Amino acid sequence: MEILYSVYEVLWFVFIVIAGIALIEGYFYYHFQFYDRRWFFPAALLGFPLAGAAGCFAMGLVTEPVRIFLWLLGSEGLIAPFFRHIVKGRSKLAYLLLAPAFIGLALLLVYPFVFEVYLSFSDLKLTTIMQWKNTGYLPFVGLRQYIDVFTTSPLSEVTFWALLGRTLWWTFINVFFHVAGGFTLALLLNNHIRFKGFYRTLLVIPWAMPQVVAVLAMRGEFHAQYGFINIMLGKLAAAYPFLAGLGLGPVQWLSNYPLTTCTLINIWLGIPFMMVVILGGLQSISSSYYDAADIDGASYLQKLRFITIPLIRPVMMPAVTLGTVWTFNNINVIYLVTGQSGGTERADILVSALYKAAFTYNRYSYSAAFAIVIFAILFFVSVFYLKSFDAAKEER
Amino acid sequence: MADVKFSKVTKKFNENLILNGVDAEIRDHEFVVIVGPSGCGKTTLLRMLAGLEEITDGEIHIDNVLVNNMHPSKRQIAMVFQDYALYPHMTVEENMSFALRLRKAPKAEIKERVTEAANILQLTTLLKRMPKQLSGGQRQRVAIGRAIVRKPKVFLFDEPLSNLDAKLREEMRVEIAKLYQRLNATIIYVTHDQVEAMTLAGRIMVMNHGIIQQVGTPIEVYRKPVNLFVAGFIGSPTMNFIRGKLKVEGDKLYLKNDDISLYIPSFLLSKTAEHDGREVVVGVRPDDVLVGGAAREKCSEKLDGMLEVSELLGHRENLYIKVGDTRVLATVEAFFNQSPGSKVAVCFNYENMHVFDKATTQRING
Amino acid sequence: MNKEAAAYRRKKFLKYLLIHAAIISFVVICVYPLLRILSVSIRPGDKLFSTDLALLPKGADFAAYVRLLKETLFLRWLWNSLLITVTTSFIGVSLASTAAYAFSRFKFGGKKGGLILLLSTQMIPAGMLILPLFLMIMKLGLMNTYLGIIIAYSVSSLPFSIWILKGYYDTIPRSLEEAALVDGTSQLGAFYRVILPLSTPALSIAFLFNFTTAWNEYLVARVVLFSSKQYTWTLGLFELQGQYITQWGMFAAGSMLVTIPVLAVFLYSSKWLISGLTLGSVKG
Repeated sequence: MEILYSVYEVLWFVFIVIAGIALIEGYFYYHFQFYDRRWFFPAALLGFPLAGAAGCFAMGLVTEPVRIFLWLLGSEGLIAPFFRHIVKGRSKLAYLLLAPAFIGLALLLVYPFVFEVYLSFSDLKLTTIMQWKNTGYLPFVGLRQYIDVFTTSPLSEVTFWALLGRTLWWTFINVFFHVAGGFTLALLLNNHIRFKGFYRTLLVIPWAMPQVVAVLAMRGEFHAQYGFINIMLGKLAAAYPFLAGLGLGPVQWLSNYPLTTCTLINIWLGIPFMMVVILGGLQSISSSYYDAADIDGASYLQKLRFITIPLIRPVMMPAVTLGTVWTFNNINVIYLVTGQSGGTERADILVSALYKAAFTYNRYSYSAAFAIVIFAILFFVSVFYLKSFDAAKEER
Repeated sequence: MADVKFSKVTKKFNENLILNGVDAEIRDHEFVVIVGPSGCGKTTLLRMLAGLEEITDGEIHIDNVLVNNMHPSKRQIAMVFQDYALYPHMTVEENMSFALRLRKAPKAEIKERVTEAANILQLTTLLKRMPKQLSGGQRQRVAIGRAIVRKPKVFLFDEPLSNLDAKLREEMRVEIAKLYQRLNATIIYVTHDQVEAMTLAGRIMVMNHGIIQQVGTPIEVYRKPVNLFVAGFIGSPTMNFIRGKLKVEGDKLYLKNDDISLYIPSFLLSKTAEHDGREVVVGVRPDDVLVGGAAREKCSEKLDGMLEVSELLGHRENLYIKVGDTRVLATVEAFFNQSPGSKVAVCFNYENMHVFDKATTQRING
Repeated sequence: MNKEAAAYRRKKFLKYLLIHAAIISFVVICVYPLLRILSVSIRPGDKLFSTDLALLPKGADFAAYVRLLKETLFLRWLWNSLLITVTTSFIGVSLASTAAYAFSRFKFGGKKGGLILLLSTQMIPAGMLILPLFLMIMKLGLMNTYLGIIIAYSVSSLPFSIWILKGYYDTIPRSLEEAALVDGTSQLGAFYRVILPLSTPALSIAFLFNFTTAWNEYLVARVVLFSSKQYTWTLGLFELQGQYITQWGMFAAGSMLVTIPVLAVFLYSSKWLISGLTLGSVKG
């Protein structure tokens, strides 16, 4: 019964979406098709605000239909002349095809972003959230949240600057090992060897597994007593006492070295993607370059340096960029390893601290400001990076 | 400069026999063109000589040195690839000097050799460009320049002109011929285009199905093809083939089939009686088909044909003539003054007729 | 000559031996954790915590699987995930397919701006939008419902899907549509009858991408869904794993049950998926 109800609920939602799309399409169709008719303005200015206000009121979304009507009238007063005098019915089909996707993006991507900016200048926290939900009242506090981001801890101890440093370190180490490991594996696989397809299939397993399962399973392997890693270390130390003398032995991974644990897990997760991308790049290099280099007398390392690496760069650069952004934004691994109640904050990077500040510590406005700061960092780094990338492209 | 010797060279890919015991000798300063249809193994043979392909069996000697297990760079060869294989991230100059830089040659020498090669190929103004910024013909010249810079014992060309358009191909053909005169090097040149083979080669090596069919000067290969394959492959337009049985009538030998009764003079096949009843294929090049007035003047025995189509090529004209059910192509001086559908007399220039055994496909006349 | 050839062969053989050895050691690292989960899931209850490394435990049984299905809401979680994922993928792909067509085939004002907007949305960290989405869902009263989570998921893969589909449409020659137009379809008809059927591979990639993203999502689900009846499997498994001491075997069993189909689909479609991903990343 419950299952049937859940299907009903979802189907109802799909129906709403389809109806919404139809409404949007109809609305725009009117503006594109009838922009030059004499009754265009009166019908638009009267019809749409009236229908909109009545519809909202009927569905119980608003309590003051007159105010909504005036709002809609105002915006229609801008939209209708725009279509009549500027758009003039051009590219009708293209815009109609684009409208649903872009309205979806505007509502669920752009609006939340703008809302977050707004939120960062106010004071929404656990104690004020019910008031906001019921009345919509948000106190304005200016830049206080931004000042707090830099002066107080986003969690309970760690400071913003420590998080930033840790994030940069985490990103660098991860991407470095992803590329190094992926490159090595791709080079190994790019030989004419037997079982190549079979090896490749097995090597992408960490990437193919659902990330939640992969991370949680690896977390189990780092368990102090029953995890594979410590069992192995213990056995090694028992079998070769001189290794134990060097300090090798079981380690309290999760409590003493949480960041190392997360890094090891994430390296394990990320190598297959790089391997696949680089392997694709390697296979796209025409073999005649290697033939020519053979005749020119290049050794294996020289071929690597003078041919493989320069020719694989165009494929590598976007992949490395993507990998860097993903690693920088990786909440999953860190949260899944350290996110349980009582988990440590010594492994947190900026984004995971952001998530915890919002949903463990319930400091909404604070984490909104925190998010904007992180976004700004990422934005400037990417702009700088893209500029230098363009410059490098121009050079060639 | 050096000579090259293949002895019983065999290549297998898995179970596929690509080359089946190739024996050949290429002399010093010789320009040899290996020609054959695609898939005949000619490129494989070249790549084995370069050391890019493993040798399944047999031996390859360059300058009397066995090179079977020698690294390509040690064989003192240079190769021009079909797709040129110019390193896209290096300038023309860097491309040309790459081998020397790897060998750590002195800078002055590198510069001198690159300049020299650039002068020969008129690349001097392009040295700082990237391969991307060059036209097809220019890239081709850079690829050749890269080979020249290395001063190899043997130059290898792997279908170097196949990526160029028709006009450029003609120009580059002349360039390569000039280059050969200037360098006087040993050149081995692989192509599927028999025109390139005819115009460039000192000797032609015709290959098919991994076997060398015939080796000889262009004239030899053209005038005296040893078998049906060579006869059909060399020459453009393609040779006419007429199938039939040899029959002795009186003391004269005739080729007979349903449509044709063709006199075979005794200077072609002397021991007339021996050939009675033999299944043969007679080949005649379109240039050696005489039609109309010319046929009436020069031949005693004529065939009756019907003109199907005529194609005007300029100063020559292709005539497609039906003799019974056999179609014969004749290339004659323009303008042949008869309309399609009219009856014409046809005969062949007996001196240039080729007779092949149908079963063995080998040539049987002298 | 023979000596030389033999030495050459030996060297080559050694080289391949080394390559295989290196790859196999990497393969072991990649596959071992998965095998360990399998092994834990079939351990008998009393040996759940052992320091034994044998992959096939003594007295293996499927008790953990039976307990998982009987004592937890695992099937319900799977159902929830499936419902949410299929709906979001369906919505996402249908919006993307038309928008990508507009970008691929039409010239219109703001086309370049639109494409740049699409790319720049990729720069917004996903973690950053969870908070405003959470607040919006709360304000709309959709907490702990499918709708709330579907709304949050539905556009997250949209820019990427549009990008992939546009790339694919671009490779379909325009003359095909022109032929359809000459044959009497409308522009939309040409899209529906010619372009869409031809784009099945790209549509499958986009669908699969949407599907895997939503199927494996954890962070949004965690803040929107809070009653265990509404959980997706990711939340359910996390809860089982959190209670490490008691539920380890059931966690492993659940992991196997969700991993095997995902792995099968991924490996089956990996050629497409990878080409799509590299296409997206290289051209992006």
